[in-house]
Amino acid sequence: MRRTLLIQIILFAGLLSLAGQTPEERYSQAGVLYSSGDYSGAAAIYRKLYEEGFRSGDLFYNTGNAFFKSGDNASAILFYERAKLLSPADEDIDYNLQIARSRITDRLETVPQLFFVRWFDFLSLLASTNFWAVGAIVLFVLSLMFAVLFLTRARARGRLLSFWLSLATLLLSMLLISLSVRNNSLVNHNSRAVIMCSIVTGRSAPGETGNELFVLHSGTTVTVEQELGEFREVRLPDGNKGWIRADCMEKI
Amino acid sequence: MKSILTILIFLLACLTATPQEVTLTVDAPGTAAAGERFRVIYTINSTDGQFTPPKFDPAFTVQGPQQSTSRNVQWINGDVKTIATTTLIYYVTVSAPGTYTIPAAQFETKKAVVSSAERQIVITPAGQAAPATGQTQGQGQTRAAGDIPSAGTDVSLKLLFSDREVYAGEPITVTLKLYTRINLSGLQELRYPDFKGFLREDIESPPLRNLETEVIDGVQYGTGVVQRLVLYPQISGEIRIDPVEMTVLVQERTSAREPFFDDPFFDSFFSSVSTVPRKVVTQPVTIRVIPLPLPRPADFHGAVGSFVLESSLSSTESQLNDAITLKVVLKGSGSLNLAGEPLINFPQGIEKYDPKVTITSTGTSSGSKTFEYLLIPRNPGKFEIPPVSYTVFDPNQEKYVTLRSEGYEVNVSGTPGGTEGTDPVYIPGEDVKYLGQDIRFIRNGNGRLGTAAATLVTELHYWLWFALALFITAVVLLLRGEQIRRNADVAGVRNRKALRNARQRLARAEALLKGGKKGQVNAEVARALWGYLGDKLRIPPSEITRDRCYALLRQRNTGEELISELDRILTATEYSQYAPVSEGESPAALCKRADSLISRLDDVLD
Repeated sequence: MRRTLLIQIILFAGLLSLAGQTPEERYSQAGVLYSSGDYSGAAAIYRKLYEEGFRSGDLFYNTGNAFFKSGDNASAILFYERAKLLSPADEDIDYNLQIARSRITDRLETVPQLFFVRWFDFLSLLASTNFWAVGAIVLFVLSLMFAVLFLTRARARGRLLSFWLSLATLLLSMLLISLSVRNNSLVNHNSRAVIMCSIVTGRSAPGETGNELFVLHSGTTVTVEQELGEFREVRLPDGNKGWIRADCMEKI
Repeated sequence: MKSILTILIFLLACLTATPQEVTLTVDAPGTAAAGERFRVIYTINSTDGQFTPPKFDPAFTVQGPQQSTSRNVQWINGDVKTIATTTLIYYVTVSAPGTYTIPAAQFETKKAVVSSAERQIVITPAGQAAPATGQTQGQGQTRAAGDIPSAGTDVSLKLLFSDREVYAGEPITVTLKLYTRINLSGLQELRYPDFKGFLREDIESPPLRNLETEVIDGVQYGTGVVQRLVLYPQISGEIRIDPVEMTVLVQERTSAREPFFDDPFFDSFFSSVSTVPRKVVTQPVTIRVIPLPLPRPADFHGAVGSFVLESSLSSTESQLNDAITLKVVLKGSGSLNLAGEPLINFPQGIEKYDPKVTITSTGTSSGSKTFEYLLIPRNPGKFEIPPVSYTVFDPNQEKYVTLRSEGYEVNVSGTPGGTEGTDPVYIPGEDVKYLGQDIRFIRNGNGRLGTAAATLVTELHYWLWFALALFITAVVLLLRGEQIRRNADVAGVRNRKALRNARQRLARAEALLKGGKKGQVNAEVARALWGYLGDKLRIPPSEITRDRCYALLRQRNTGEELISELDRILTATEYSQYAPVSEGESPAALCKRADSLISRLDDVLD
């Protein structure tokens, strides 16, 4: 209670002092707070930036670090997961996420994803959805140009080359579209969520009547499969399913 | 002479002395416990006569008599008095309770017979003996401590605690103090409980010799400190300390019950003083031990109390491989014994040995603890010995206090590799030590904060771009197709009409031949051939040359024979235009040859 009050005071004071500062200034101020050991203060500023709609791998990584240092492991995991979606190849994020995961209560056997799904997801996250989308258009236009060449060129050798080029760029364009769609669904409509309540019971049916199936603790990552009112059907990393209250989790 | 006379008078007096009346008295207790041995004493003031013992009850077990006689002569105011006494003591034990009568005993002299009085004696059942008959202990006799009776309220033992509510690890000074109202001849056995949950340390104190006088509630006591201890609580909670037991030697008077001195006045002179062991026990005490607050700082090593930290370095200038010592001294009062070794991160290149620890106590639980580190620099250069940070718990302030000593900079001179006979020091390679695990630091780059842009793939206009691209391509293709078709038509028409045009020209040439205009025939034939080649090979009239035509014809697999024929005709037509007719071929023959060539070319060229 005193801790949350303190955080609120810091947050309030932070808001007052930060009024009129650019987001970049606030971002670096949070970095200074973090370096001086005021982790809760830094976390509050980072979180505010997130709520204002700023998105970057570094921002989320720092947010995760600040939450981790102030003791909120679940939020740290949540933000590391978000950071991973924006910078999938960042090794520091993986390292910190692994440390944060090692400090949560639940130990679950994770069913690994198929390797090509993993690769595809990783590839789709390497660039933003709009990058892929624009690339797809460019490639599509190229493909059409090759097609025109193929259809209009009289000489046989040039025609064959332009045919294959046209086909290849068309396929590539389609790949880029699917990457863009995948990226969008991963980043903006991710079905995974992190448990934020310190303890929550998974039941066999939405509501308080279903049989109790399992107990989860904060920091565990689950996949949301269905939504019904105030309840969500989640799939655990080991494949089990159950219904959990929606206010006990936060989507990545 | 005078002395002889005096003796004679004395002797006469003796003889003339009147004998006293003979009496016989008996002394026996009124009550006795069954099985207890008591004495029945007969006293007779005469020595010559016959004593007849009484007829004791058959329930009596009688030992004795123990007979003694005494005689003394008194000379009082000229009267000489001779007192002779005979004492007979019977030791009697009665096993069955009840009331018994000791009958009269008789003493018979030459003149008379005297009788003693009869005595009644009540034998009570065993164990109910009156305290007055209490046992007396022989001098110096000791017994097992467990059987020793309590000393009562005259002697008491108390444990005095410096504090009843302490933090875990905070030392408590305990004083074991003796209070007594009676004389004690010594202390014998001191038994401590096991002080469960405490670490106990005895304080050396001189043995108790003299008691001090202290008045408590109006009563005067002799007091003395038996022992001092320091207790360090190891566990928290309510801890009960069991009583301390001690045996003291109490000086007690025992009345000797001599028959003639049955008087308190004589008692004080003649009763014996015996030393009796008595047990004294303290009250059990409960100590409340408060646990140290959590979380404990990392550099807290168990020291509880108020301390100061000092450090000193033997030298800040050193030679390679010359030892220097760092002394860290923890001074103050508290649990010095439990204070662990401080953690100092010595720089690499300085070899550290385990510290020598010495404790000097200046009083109860206060003093100093010295950690002496022997350091040997193994590399030359400047080294920084960091300040020692040592956290102690101060029970007065009820919080952790971090003590800091100063840091030092050591200048090590000398060249590595061993000069002046010192062997080169080989420092073996070491594995990297991993001390802990933590998350990696934040990114402090310039804030590159992107906002979330609208997603393109979910927007309709994005897909319209594809449609637009397709549409433009379609239009381009359509236009291009139209052009191709048109171009293909022009060429086709010329191709199709090539033979006909050439025939028409040849026909006109024949007409010119018949009309006698021989000079124009060759020109007409040349025009027919060039026109045909131009139409068939799709060469514009401006670009047509003989070489280009031949090249194209060869490309289309036209035979060399046809090409040379074409060349001859063309040469002939050109030649005839500038030379007299007679010298060349006749125009009619040329016409015929051109006609057949065109026919044959048309077969090949399609």
